Amino acid sequence: MFAAAAVALGFLLLPIVAIFARVSPGSLVSQLSRPVVTDALVISLKTSAIAQALVLLLGTPAAYLLATRRFRGRSVLVVLVELPLVLPPAVAGIGLIATFGRFGLLGGTLNSLGIEIGLTQTAVVLAVAYVSSPLYVRQAIAAFEAVDPNLVAASRTLGAGRVRTFFRVVLPLARRGLAAGEALSFARGLGEFGATIMFAGSLEGVTQTLPVAIYQQFNTDFTTALAMSALLVIVSGALLVALRLTLQWQPSRPTSRFLFAPSR
Amino acid sequence: MRALAATFAVAVAVAFAGNAQATKAPRLTVFAAASLTNVFPQIDPHERYSFGGSNMLTAQIEQGLPADVFASANTGLPWQLHRKGLVTRPVVFTSNRLVVVIAHGNPLHLAGVPTLEKPGLRIVMAAAGVPVGDYTRKVLARMGLSDLVDKAVSQETDVREVLSKVVLGEADAGFVYATDAKTVAGKVSLLGIPESAQPQVLYAAAAVKSSRHLQAAKAWVKQLLSKRAQKKLRAAGFLRIPR
Repeated sequence: MFAAAAVALGFLLLPIVAIFARVSPGSLVSQLSRPVVTDALVISLKTSAIAQALVLLLGTPAAYLLATRRFRGRSVLVVLVELPLVLPPAVAGIGLIATFGRFGLLGGTLNSLGIEIGLTQTAVVLAVAYVSSPLYVRQAIAAFEAVDPNLVAASRTLGAGRVRTFFRVVLPLARRGLAAGEALSFARGLGEFGATIMFAGSLEGVTQTLPVAIYQQFNTDFTTALAMSALLVIVSGALLVALRLTLQWQPSRPTSRFLFAPSR
Repeated sequence: MRALAATFAVAVAVAFAGNAQATKAPRLTVFAAASLTNVFPQIDPHERYSFGGSNMLTAQIEQGLPADVFASANTGLPWQLHRKGLVTRPVVFTSNRLVVVIAHGNPLHLAGVPTLEKPGLRIVMAAAGVPVGDYTRKVLARMGLSDLVDKAVSQETDVREVLSKVVLGEADAGFVYATDAKTVAGKVSLLGIPESAQPQVLYAAAAVKSSRHLQAAKAWVKQLLSKRAQKKLRAAGFLRIPR
């Protein structure tokens, strides 16, 4: 039993330990200041930020509707929303090309509007949003479902409109679940590789994200690939800690007093 | 727990039995340049192949991935491994030339490589370090078109990725080997590259010294020069080794 546990833990941790064992802090710093690394970091953060903004902006209302409305086919829709989550990234890449590519479903329409998506930064954003949004939407649906409908009803009876109720009652109550979902979505998006390299290609300073740069550097310079891997481990680890903290964080008492204060 | 262990033991036994069967005639693991993807299984369907950019395969061999044979789209990478004592002396076994693939039927009315300077064209090529990427840079330098390197919308990691970006219509033009273009004949059109700008594209193979089947691996490298293998290579569009 203990042996099995030790093997399992060792298996999970050794590759991460090995990355840091092979890259000294000194070389880490010098490697990380190379333009190929800084470019990739900037592209990764920029595309992730835009993608996550879209996920929050469009995913939140979608999740709220799916959580609160009852209609035919709702459960099917909820399952379909989760589908991209279990799809292999290569399939996501093919799907995106088949949709937004030049010969794709929307390709002709986009082309006549003068919009080309494949091999551009927009393609990176779409790939990241596609693979990461289900993590957020799924968690957001659960968070909204957990909001006591009596509180919503009370808010409405006390005279608050739908929009006001959503922003003053529902969102604050669901925020922990939303934050956790967003942290997971962000982490998944940051690591996105397969769909990106297929749909967006790889061009330093334009479409080359950190994971794509690691793959390309692995072909030419293993030391730099190691350093970038270490960087991603650190960033992902930080995200995980942030996620843990969000989940443990209890909304403080005064907040609830504020929540139930009569609206003026 | 015990049931799990038993299942595991059976799975391991089955896996080893499978292996034992294969050792009768050792099944070699051949790391080969992406441009050899179609032709190698035609020469010998029996082996296990891993195709990719020759530079990625080199990195994998350097990191100790278990290959028996390495076949590269240049001579530099296998020689680099040879000098490090990782592979046997490389043997040149075939040759190739470069072409530009463009959309089928040439809807953009391109006439020759210099017309790729036309603004707004989406050009893809392989990254520097990938053999075909280095050859592409050589061609462009000889034609005085080196600025096209910075105009490329993607720097791919192997030649087949360049090819598929054009076949899928995501890019307007891509630099590939003539043999790659031949695998998608009818789906793309070609722009020829003048003879004077063609680089010398030589393929070299070597046995990996850490191979458990070193003798078989050496024999496999040698058979690439056999009449039968050379005939298959020629049928796929590869060229005779220049003397």
